[in-house]
Amino acid sequence: MLRLESVSKYYAAPDRAIAVLDEVTLSIASGEFCALVGPSGSGKSTLLNLIGLLDRPSSGTLWIDGEAVAGCSAHESARLRNRLIGFVFQSFHLLPRLTAWQNVALPLQYRGVPRDAQRAAAEAMLARVGLADRTGHLPGQLSGGQSQRVAIARALVGAPRLLLADEPTGSLDSSTAQDVMALLAALNAELGVTVVMVTHDRELAASCPRQIALRDGRVLGSGSGTC
Amino acid sequence: MLIALPGIQARLGDTLAEAWSNLRSQGRRSALALLGIMIGTASIIAMLNGGHMAQRESLKLFAKLGVDMLQIGSAPTGDRPALLSQAAIDALARTDPDVIEAVPLANGRAAARTGGRTADIAILAAPPALATLANLRLAAGRHPAAVEECALSGVLGDAAARALSGPAAAVGPGSAVLIGGYGYTIVGVLAPVVPETLDPVDYNMAVLIPLHCARRIIPDGGPTGLLVRLRPGADTQAASERITARLATPDAKLTVLDARSILRTMQEQKAVHSRMLIWIGAVSLLVGGIGVMNVMLMSVMERQREIGLRAATGATPTDIRILFLLEAVLLTIAGGAIGSALGAAIAWVIAHSSGWDFALAPWTLALGPAAAGGMGLVFGLYPAITASRLNPIEALRAD
Ligand SMILES: Nc1ncnc2c1ncn2[C@@H]1O[C@H](COP(=O)(O)OP(=O)(O)OP(=O)(O)O)[C@@H](O)[C@H]1O
Ligand SMILES: [Mg+2]
Repeated sequence: MLRLESVSKYYAAPDRAIAVLDEVTLSIASGEFCALVGPSGSGKSTLLNLIGLLDRPSSGTLWIDGEAVAGCSAHESARLRNRLIGFVFQSFHLLPRLTAWQNVALPLQYRGVPRDAQRAAAEAMLARVGLADRTGHLPGQLSGGQSQRVAIARALVGAPRLLLADEPTGSLDSSTAQDVMALLAALNAELGVTVVMVTHDRELAASCPRQIALRDGRVLGSGSGTC
Repeated sequence: MLIALPGIQARLGDTLAEAWSNLRSQGRRSALALLGIMIGTASIIAMLNGGHMAQRESLKLFAKLGVDMLQIGSAPTGDRPALLSQAAIDALARTDPDVIEAVPLANGRAAARTGGRTADIAILAAPPALATLANLRLAAGRHPAAVEECALSGVLGDAAARALSGPAAAVGPGSAVLIGGYGYTIVGVLAPVVPETLDPVDYNMAVLIPLHCARRIIPDGGPTGLLVRLRPGADTQAASERITARLATPDAKLTVLDARSILRTMQEQKAVHSRMLIWIGAVSLLVGGIGVMNVMLMSVMERQREIGLRAATGATPTDIRILFLLEAVLLTIAGGAIGSALGAAIAWVIAHSSGWDFALAPWTLALGPAAAGGMGLVFGLYPAITASRLNPIEALRAD
């Protein structure tokens, strides 16, 4: 489903180029649930952004669903993100002026889905994450856990193949974090969506079927199957 | 770049609704940016409609006689009376290709007296053709056209008739009035006449008598002026030169009032004012446009996270460009609409204070929002492109 081959990312420093990701080779199968772990600054977010087509590798190749996507234009990348990828962020990133269902409907809007169908799909997805009674609320009226559920609904409403979550529980207290984690696991099992989740929480990481550890831009134990 | 992509039309409705709600949330800042757009549109709309009304008003000054009309008068150069040749005037219509009709006139003044009332009135002696040419309608009685021999009969103007009427005895057809010492019979009374630039006398305070009977009451009696109707679109300047050459006598100095030239002079004066107002309007629009660009740039900077999030959920750079462009256009169209209303109100004030009839040219009301929207498109482009070129990752990290 997802394959990276010798993917590197450099940032230009005053004197020399720093490799944030160094020849990362990795493959993730369809339906896998992976935790991406590593110390701060090891390149986890950078890797996730590359996979999410928000950024381009300095070198190397990336395949999603068999398509080589590293060289896509900004327009093509946007269309691919819209179709294949859902994002969940640590800080939720809900648009404050839109209601919960309108936030969830955003990916459908950029797909040209009619308004009524957008709303129906968004409300169904909100019901799936346990927020059937919050569809008309504004983000300011939701708790952190509820906000992250709305964000998860938004990431999944377009039935993507891949869910990328960068510290989705980083802003939540531990019991809410457990709930969100359980929700992600359930959705992974039910919908078959592939999940790659960055986390600093050892416990949460340990509960994932697969862990990918990064250090200084290199994959340590991509250890497929290691728990 | 902006339009020719599939699916955009389907998304346009959503984008429009969002653009609108974003603008509303900008509130006061949007309103400030609109000020320049509003002033610019208002002054352009006020100017265009002021011009429109001035045009209507100036045309009103030629409503009866039309603009293909000359009024020629003569003034004595020496001791001898400034008489024109009746034969030469009569020959004009036959011999000059641009002349349709030439009506000789003689005029004087006299005191009119009846029933103990006196009024100083003008005497206009003219052939029957004048009534048709100048579109003089009767309120009562008839024109003395049918009168063959020179009976002393005349048609009184509306104001003159009223000035001579007593509470008991109204002056009308059949009344006897002493004019310049001669006992005239009034055969008709004119309906009120709106004064025009080329009128030889104020018809309302005049008595009209047949030209061939003028000798009695007007010293020297012959024509001292004429009205000339020209072929529509004729070169009035050239025609007036030809005609004055034909009528020239050593005893008279001819003066020509040319409806078209008068109108042109009035319009040229107006055009100077219009140009000034257009410049004021254009400069305000420009300032407003720059203001809109500023507001939109600030909005882009403040909404970086939103832009990043939209990009992450699949908005293409084009989608983002359209969103911000639409906001700019909506903003300026709203400003243009308010400005148009303001401009129409100013036009009303202009009309009211100039004593004109208030009339709006409908196309100007559409022009206001359209021109403002155009400004939005032009000045919104740069912020929109800036937004669409943001790096999504940095945009998401912004605060
Ligand atoms: N735009 C950039 N320019 C230069 N260096 C960058 C840029 N973005 C990231 N880096 C560097 O790349 C390295 C990896 O950053 P990244 O955000 O991927 O780390 P991370 O593993 O997600 O860390 P954290 O756990 O703290 O989120 C860091 O050293 C960071 O300073
Ligand atoms: Mg990170």
